[in-house]
Amino acid sequence: MSRYDTQDIIYALATPWARSGLAVIRISGAGCKEALAPYFSRPAALLGAPNATMVHGSLIDEAAARIDEVVLAINTDGHGYTAEEAIEISCHGSLAVIQAILALLGRIGMRSAEAGEFTFRAFLHGRVDLTQAEAVEELVSSVSQRSRSLSLSRLEGKLRQRIDMLKDTLLTILAAVEVQLDYAEDELDEFVFPTQALTDLIASIGSLADTYQIGRLYKRGAKVVLAGSTNVGKSSLFNLLLKEERSIVSPYRGTTRDYIEADLEVGGIPIRLYDTAGLRESEDLVEQEGVVRSERLIGQADLVIHLVDSTDLGHIPEEDGRTIVVYNKSDLARIGGDKLAISAQSGEGVARLLEVVEAYLKRSIPEGGDEELVIEGERQWRLLGGAKGALLRALHLVQADAVLDVVAVELGEALSNLGELTGEVRSDDILERIFSGFCVGK
Amino acid sequence: MDYDAIVVGGGHAGIEASLALSRIGFSTLLVTQRLDTIGALSCNPAIGGLSKGNIVREIDALGGEMAHLIDHSMIQFRILNRRRGPAVQAPRAQADKFTYNRLAKETVEGQSNLALFMDTVVDLLLDEAERVYRGIITERGHTITSRVLVLTTGTFMEGKIFIGEWETSAGRLGEAAAIGLGTALRQKGFPVGRMKTGTPARVRRSSIDFSRVETQQGDAIMLPFSFDYPTIDRPMRDCYITWTNEQTHRIIGENMARSPLYGGKISGIGPRYCPSIEDKVVRFPERERHQIFIEPEGIGTEEMYLNGISSSLPEDVQAAFIHSIAGLEEAEIMRPAYAVEYDYIDPTALYPSLESKLVDGLFIAGQTNGTSGYEEAACQGLMAGINAAQKLKGEKPVVLGRHEAYIGVLIDDLVTMGTKEPYRMFTSRAEYRLNLRHDSGDVRLTKKGWEVGLQSDEHLARLEEKLRRIEAVKDLLAQHTHREKSALAALKMPEVTIEELQGVVPALGRFDEATLHQVELDVKYAGYIDRQQRQVDRFTRLEAMAIDPLFDYDSVEGLSSEGREKLKAVRPFSVGQASRINGVRNSDVAILIVHLRRGGGHV
Ligand SMILES: Cc1cc2nc3c(=O)[nH]c(=O)nc-3n(C[C@H](O)[C@H](O)[C@H](O)COP(=O)(O)OP(=O)(O)OC[C@H]3O[C@@H](n4cnc5c(N)ncnc54)[C@H](O)[C@@H]3O)c2cc1C
Repeated sequence: MSRYDTQDIIYALATPWARSGLAVIRISGAGCKEALAPYFSRPAALLGAPNATMVHGSLIDEAAARIDEVVLAINTDGHGYTAEEAIEISCHGSLAVIQAILALLGRIGMRSAEAGEFTFRAFLHGRVDLTQAEAVEELVSSVSQRSRSLSLSRLEGKLRQRIDMLKDTLLTILAAVEVQLDYAEDELDEFVFPTQALTDLIASIGSLADTYQIGRLYKRGAKVVLAGSTNVGKSSLFNLLLKEERSIVSPYRGTTRDYIEADLEVGGIPIRLYDTAGLRESEDLVEQEGVVRSERLIGQADLVIHLVDSTDLGHIPEEDGRTIVVYNKSDLARIGGDKLAISAQSGEGVARLLEVVEAYLKRSIPEGGDEELVIEGERQWRLLGGAKGALLRALHLVQADAVLDVVAVELGEALSNLGELTGEVRSDDILERIFSGFCVGK
Repeated sequence: MDYDAIVVGGGHAGIEASLALSRIGFSTLLVTQRLDTIGALSCNPAIGGLSKGNIVREIDALGGEMAHLIDHSMIQFRILNRRRGPAVQAPRAQADKFTYNRLAKETVEGQSNLALFMDTVVDLLLDEAERVYRGIITERGHTITSRVLVLTTGTFMEGKIFIGEWETSAGRLGEAAAIGLGTALRQKGFPVGRMKTGTPARVRRSSIDFSRVETQQGDAIMLPFSFDYPTIDRPMRDCYITWTNEQTHRIIGENMARSPLYGGKISGIGPRYCPSIEDKVVRFPERERHQIFIEPEGIGTEEMYLNGISSSLPEDVQAAFIHSIAGLEEAEIMRPAYAVEYDYIDPTALYPSLESKLVDGLFIAGQTNGTSGYEEAACQGLMAGINAAQKLKGEKPVVLGRHEAYIGVLIDDLVTMGTKEPYRMFTSRAEYRLNLRHDSGDVRLTKKGWEVGLQSDEHLARLEEKLRRIEAVKDLLAQHTHREKSALAALKMPEVTIEELQGVVPALGRFDEATLHQVELDVKYAGYIDRQQRQVDRFTRLEAMAIDPLFDYDSVEGLSSEGREKLKAVRPFSVGQASRINGVRNSDVAILIVHLRRGGGHV
């Protein structure tokens, strides 16, 4: 029942979980300014900010690396929506940025809010009039809806089954340990810790958590950047790809003249394609700035399609996990071997290119992975990660021959993480397992 | 008014309740069916064990009696689960039943303010609306009045014993059941149900072939359960171990139909954690053997208790299967195994103070609340006695938190969730068990015992002195260096022990073993304890949001209908307790908090 603990600092993304120009993350709870200050470029400005003011600066992570440039809107105690000390972070609407900020907040001891929790706090502090029956109804539905949506109903079908299975395995391991703690040594058979079962469980939880990457890919899409020198045919390829794909959303010009971008879909994955066309070495300050930006763009890309001119090879970058080299103008010059050759002019090889792109983006899908089993929510992923972390600690303790009572602490923590996904586990459930699985009692 | 308080039943619950009330200063009457069985150990001759040993030490810290009784009657002592970690270790002692029993009787007899009377209570005297307790009515026609009552009827209320096809009305073999009260309470609207438990046969020591059994010795050093003295000196006796075999199981299997349990005669629900041998054979057919502990019932007796084979099979079957066991081939059965079925009262009809929600001034404790076990009974008796005294004083009830004591876990489980089988404590029931070590019982609870008037100023001073010693040891360690860090930091390392540090910091020699041990555990477990402390902090915040027991849940809009019904039935003392009720949703808790914060229902 942590959820209605108003002592916690809570946070949530207030704008939709989608790419957008701007995103807003809300934080509420006494002490939130102080908690955030060490991770803000201008801590003194933040700490000293009076109510209803804005502070401009950057969020930085533990290693002092910049996460994003942001504007913080400050509310002091007694003001704002929740009438608590609160901060609204306005940041860039890139999912990577949002993700990084949310992760930071979680790491520094804030808690991801339950849906309805901001409203709950607003009620609590008299911001919303409780005497209106309607408002109460609303609270009920918002609160109960969220507690369901975040645990049970969102987990349907196979995923639910899979997590229940993991939980069941863990419960069995935990019961084997708990029975040792509930009964005296001489009342029980010789105990051997089920190390193999634990190792297997860690692997299963790990691979389920890994599907988050895939889920994220489908949900948030991928950034694909066309790179290469001028005149290799990037623009032609860009236009061709937009034409090939029927599911074009909109080609539009970027906010600056550095690059243009467009949304399309490859194999079900939403892709934002960037064309750095029009860039060349330049004395022009604006254009120089543009080069820097497109380099940054390349740095952030999930995949870089590096186009080279088959008639004039020049510098060819290494292919790595993020870069594929594509030889354009295959109609003019043949490139041997299994190199990826296309003609942006005739369209030859483009279908194959799309296959390769799709394969690249999906390569994190584990072998034989069940595509239906995909973790989507950050919260689910976090809980699985929490469970896995605790189990790894348990495993280390077991390997170090530590006493069972602390091993049980870690296993218990893992179980409560899984329990938050599919419903709580009570001590009765553990005893039930003990009584059904072990012959105990003098 | 004849007395301030009456306690019904001289079992483990009744003893603690009557001692607490009279020691706090209220004139108290203990009414029980037979004075000779005050403090009788009905079943196994042992006190303590995992989590139960912790309870005994908690009782002691609060100013109860059980630790003293076992300390002066034990004939074997062991710390269980030494290898499993300190959080789950606990002391257990074999008791000389007769000494225990005699000491218990002597103690209540020697207590000022406490009168004893032998009779059986058959009905309660209530006010006209049947909402307020007034007095008791006994079998021999006495009406005795008091301001509060603590009811501890154990296995005796409408008790019925079964041995195979044979059955009789009794609370223990050879002891009359208390007839009448159960029916009277049912008529008054109390939620009365049936539970059952069983006990194994006792055999004659001289008929056992000791060459065919293993010997199990206790620890070389006997330690007291009580925090009041550092050592005890008692005679030591061995226990023995033997095993059932396939023939035993075959005999039991062939006669299953003659068991009242499987024949359907017993309707009460028995405990799964303490199954009869019939249950074990049926449920674990793949097991070739089950362990049996042969334990002495005392020093001056030949009776030996066969721990592990409680049964309700007919006596001829009992004899046959016992004789199939190694070492027991010639065993002379002195008392047969039997099952007992009795009335209990659904504990969700109680407040966390153990006072009835139906009748003001009535407190209920022990096996009557659906528990089983001496320690479980005694701690409830103590808390019921303390809270009856608080009521007499016009003060708030004392409710121990789940993070403070196993006693808190036990009572919270009972009154919040109820129980379907006889409830026994387990370490796994406690979510904060690292905090509930048996050796820290005094640190956790002495102050509370002092506040209610059960612990003296000297007790409190002794505790403070102990805490000072602990701090002094930590300071000392912090000032010395070991393995290139402070000795205190070094102690965190798994391989560094306090003994090792005694070589480095000779001044440690001035401190007693218990203090050093406690520091070692505090330091080694600091990381885990800190983590747990954060959970505890969160937990206590909800516990601290009090709700008036008479709070009008109908006045709160928006509660789910199931949640509302459950809240009205349980009447929690706090939002924390409310959140643990089955059927109360998160949204209900949220609305409740909103309502309380906005000024309704706060105590
Ligand atoms: C057959 C049997 C098997 C058991 N098995 C187990 C077991 O396997 N595990 C375990 O942990 N515990 C077991 N116990 C339980 C253990 O004995 C009890 O849990 C413990 O003694 C309960 O203490 P109590 O104070 O609640 O009741 P009791 O010790 O039963 O004491 C109740 C006392 O109240 C008196 N009394 C009752 N009603 C009235 C009345 N109306 N008027 C006056 N006096 C009254 C009785 O005479 C008795 O002296 C068993 C008990 C029995 C009898």
